[in-house]
Amino acid sequence: MRDYWLSKLFFDLQSPPLADEYRADRNAVLARYPLKPAVRAAVEADDVAALSRLVNPYLLRFYFLMAGMPEEDFLRRIRSSGAPASRSTARG
Amino acid sequence: MAELVGVYAASHGPMIVRNWNILAPAERENLTAAFSELGRRIKAARPDALIVISPDHWVNFFIDNLPAICVGVGEAHDGPPEPWFKEFPHRKMAGHPPLAEHVVRTALERDFEPSISYQLALDHGFCIPLWKTGLEPLPAIVPVIFNDLEPPFPSVKRCFAWGAMLAEAVASYPGKLRVGVLATGGLSHSIGEPDMGRIDEAFDRDCIRRFENGDAPALFDFLNERLPGAGNGASEVRNWVAAHGAARGRGFELIRYDPIPNVYVGCGFASWKLG
Repeated sequence: MRDYWLSKLFFDLQSPPLADEYRADRNAVLARYPLKPAVRAAVEADDVAALSRLVNPYLLRFYFLMAGMPEEDFLRRIRSSGAPASRSTARG
Repeated sequence: MAELVGVYAASHGPMIVRNWNILAPAERENLTAAFSELGRRIKAARPDALIVISPDHWVNFFIDNLPAICVGVGEAHDGPPEPWFKEFPHRKMAGHPPLAEHVVRTALERDFEPSISYQLALDHGFCIPLWKTGLEPLPAIVPVIFNDLEPPFPSVKRCFAWGAMLAEAVASYPGKLRVGVLATGGLSHSIGEPDMGRIDEAFDRDCIRRFENGDAPALFDFLNERLPGAGNGASEVRNWVAAHGAARGRGFELIRYDPIPNVYVGCGFASWKLG
């Protein structure tokens, strides 16, 4: 199950002008998306593990690249995020 | 009548472009050799049009409307929108509406229900192989997007049937046209998942052997069992299965396989036997 508005935020951030705005003023962009409080908190905390359970993994990977998280940092966090998703959901 | 002149497959990992300058020299040489040989084979077949089967990496479609399979019927397609792929030399690529529409009609007559689009952007999945193989001038492109990214996915058996249907569509196209099929993606890789960066070389080599020997039911059984453990990116092997169907399961010749950690992908390149 995906979180629609979190997914929509990550999808929309593929637009370079919106990504620029997000990097400059994250709260202004987040205010336009009706994220659940716990989801917004996970975004604000750069909580890779929590967000990984809510969005497609390609969008997750894109988001943290766009947001400027170093690759080594993202890899360390995603690799320690828990067991791979179940066969019936996220895997190929 | 049109003629199917070649069926091919190539990996397309974005790091092939984004990390090109930090790849080890041997990795660059191996990729260059693979793409060059694939390009040589495609050019030798002289296709007027290329049906390219690739996933959409969240460029055209989102979870508000996500087709399992979409055929691009437009007169032209946009080049890749990824900011890191500005080197790609085409902002527009010619489509082939008559062939694309014939594919759609044939699909519907054979009880397949593809989505259609008159306006697609072709992301790195399409454009890395088109670029790195040096196909200039580009043949007309008929994009066929398979959903390999967001579960649930089309079954591998259905993907094979799709490929067989594509070959029927080419054979029944009422015009003189040389048509190739290029599947992109795979082999094993994992993106944005806890095992990101893992390449399942054992899966890749087993998979290649099954494509080589051409036994489609055995390939289906193998993939149904092993795809779920080969990383989310391995789902793109479905595109190779469609190519296998287009080639009537005759088996392919491996051009090259290299597991390339800096690309995160088990990189495979092949062309099918048509004779």
